[in-house]
Amino acid sequence: MNFRWRWRIVFSLLFAALVFTVIFCTAIGPVSIGFFTVVKIIINSLPGAKNFMPAENWPITYETIVFNLRLARVILALLVGAALATSGVVLQGLLQNPMGDPYILGISSGAALGATTAILFGLGNYMLGIFTIPAMAFLGGAGTTFVVYNIAKVGNRVSMSTLLLAGIAVGSFLSAVASLTMVISGENLHQVIFWLMGGLSNRGWKHVMILLPYIIIGIIPMILYSRDLNVMLLGEESAQHMGVEVEKLKKIMLGVAALVTASAVSVSGIIGFVGLIIPHIVRLLVGPDHRVLLPASALLGAIFLAVADTLARVVAAPLEIPVGIITALCGGPFFLYLLRKKKNPGF
Amino acid sequence: MSAILKILDIDCAYESVKVLDGINFSIDKGSFTGIIGPNGSGKSTLLRCTTQVLRPEKGTVFLNDFNLSMMKSPEIARLMAVVPQETSITFSFTVKEVIMMGRSPYLNRLQSESKEDYEIVNYAMKLTNTHYLAERPVTAISGGERQRVIIARALAQQPEILLLDEPISHLDINYQLEILNLLLKLNQEKRLTVIPVFHDLNLAAQYCDQLILLKEGKVFAIGTPEEVLTEKNIKDVYGTNVMIKKHFVTGRPNIVCFSTCSQHTSFKGKVHLICGGGAGSSILELIVSQGYKLTAGILNTGDFDWEMAKFLSVKLVEESPFSSISYYNHKRNLELIKNTDVCVMASIPFGQGNLENLKAVEYACDLGKPVILVEEQGINKRDFTGGQARIIYNNLKNKKGVIVVNSSVEVLNVLPGLLSSEQHN
Repeated sequence: MNFRWRWRIVFSLLFAALVFTVIFCTAIGPVSIGFFTVVKIIINSLPGAKNFMPAENWPITYETIVFNLRLARVILALLVGAALATSGVVLQGLLQNPMGDPYILGISSGAALGATTAILFGLGNYMLGIFTIPAMAFLGGAGTTFVVYNIAKVGNRVSMSTLLLAGIAVGSFLSAVASLTMVISGENLHQVIFWLMGGLSNRGWKHVMILLPYIIIGIIPMILYSRDLNVMLLGEESAQHMGVEVEKLKKIMLGVAALVTASAVSVSGIIGFVGLIIPHIVRLLVGPDHRVLLPASALLGAIFLAVADTLARVVAAPLEIPVGIITALCGGPFFLYLLRKKKNPGF
Repeated sequence: MSAILKILDIDCAYESVKVLDGINFSIDKGSFTGIIGPNGSGKSTLLRCTTQVLRPEKGTVFLNDFNLSMMKSPEIARLMAVVPQETSITFSFTVKEVIMMGRSPYLNRLQSESKEDYEIVNYAMKLTNTHYLAERPVTAISGGERQRVIIARALAQQPEILLLDEPISHLDINYQLEILNLLLKLNQEKRLTVIPVFHDLNLAAQYCDQLILLKEGKVFAIGTPEEVLTEKNIKDVYGTNVMIKKHFVTGRPNIVCFSTCSQHTSFKGKVHLICGGGAGSSILELIVSQGYKLTAGILNTGDFDWEMAKFLSVKLVEESPFSSISYYNHKRNLELIKNTDVCVMASIPFGQGNLENLKAVEYACDLGKPVILVEEQGINKRDFTGGQARIIYNNLKNKKGVIVVNSSVEVLNVLPGLLSSEQHN
């Protein structure tokens, strides 16, 4: 029973940290807005709040900055972070492999090829406008997973080790094709490289709106099946003996993990490390039970990416650093520190 | 007794290799039925078909007269639990969390464990004596403890049948017995039907009340351990010569193996061994295993040396049990000695009934045959004739051509030299 209490404390802390992060990250930027001013601006915008709150005197531009520029981006970072962290949890569990991450099945390479094609051939001029790159990246990522899944499928069964190897093989192939496209084309390379390193600049509410439904559709089944994911950790056959319909579970979980990852990648580019290290850090905090691991990872992944993105905005302002660089720069050493501190990281 | 599990005509193949071929049997409620057979005979596949992890190509499994292939996996998991050979758990769940996973076939998604579930888990921990491990990470306990935890997890499923796939093959002997005694207790006290796959035939014979012997995907024999574990069945299925003895405590069949099971064919020479009572059994085995042509005498019917000699198909002179050596048999023994190259005498005790054995060795000496006396114990301790045997024996030791060795193995070191010199003569 004391476990439940520990979970509650962890969740309360994470949730408080999330709220704090949102406000803090919104406050920081070239135009510095006070922490409490941001709180007031947000509360003031809630319907009906004007009746209770005395009118404050902040410049009208502040509201524009908070809502149109920063808040959208912070929330997008939260969504992407949560998406990558939860699919990392699911894939590490399904593959029973601590190296598992959202990109392990070739999603990143497929998405990269899609995005590269869209950028280099200027497809945006012909279709969908600013949504061409996300759409192509999504198609590339999801399509790759589909191909990899079908390669690994023999009869009705999918072997997890074949899946892993097929993912690596298909991923390398597609990366090579993407690189080849870049070499041949030689134009717009700067944009491609920025996309490949992952970033959230110039993204707004429209991107949040595209991403949100996929994240919701994806994360709900993960939570629903979290007990089955626990049982899977005793081995596929044992799970089957305990009443888990293993093949169905694998299909659903791979499907949602691919959906969530591909949609996140489509708006943010390839942000590495979040999906690998956040699940490990959360496991150290709350243990391996997916019922708490999944939501806690979603929260911590969201917080981590929002902070990282804010750093990406401000450290070299006015220049922006791709957020993927920040996540790897901070995440790598921190993860090593954890590994050294606790020799057996619970995996 | 009613059959709880019925297997009807099951066929199963991996790719095109047929692994199970027309398997048929039924198992009574509350029985302890072991499945045995050589590697590759289909034991594990049979288990996997029974649990529907592997859908057989043909045939049906009935559990309580319900067709298993029509049931959903959680339903099956509530009736039947499986303990695998080894469970590798890489995530640091606590022992209690792992055992609680056994409740998952009873819980809906999102439903959290009730008080009743905790009580069932506590009870399973009590039965398996895993309480003291409850909060430990399952990655940090020993193999024997882990197997107990996995059994507790299986019990938390509240099954009617417990299947185990070689549950003890990775464990030390103390843990093997601990696990088997636990299973026996569950079987006897809780009337749980226990169906383990066994590697160790002797342990299978000790614990099971019924055995199913598989050979090449077919049921070769089914019945009590006494009916199934016969020398002939073992020879037919495993291709090995063994000796079946009654276990001296439990009375169950007990298999004794010899290194002679694969016999030498090269002929090296003739050896006559004088033994009896069990003193000569290791020499019998050693000499035969080295390819010598062995004869033996004089053995009382039914004693251990006699059994061993019979098993090794050694030509021998035998005397009825607990009887003194008769003149007729003494003559026959001398006949054998006449035809042998070397005479060996095991470290046997002497009484009035078998003094003729010593005289037979004297006879060999007189014929000029090389003689080896095995002296694992001094003659004083073996003499029960009041000095008579000692005098003859000590006399013998001083004769020409007599070699004294201290152990059975040394006989093998001496024999080749004696035989080659014999041939030169």
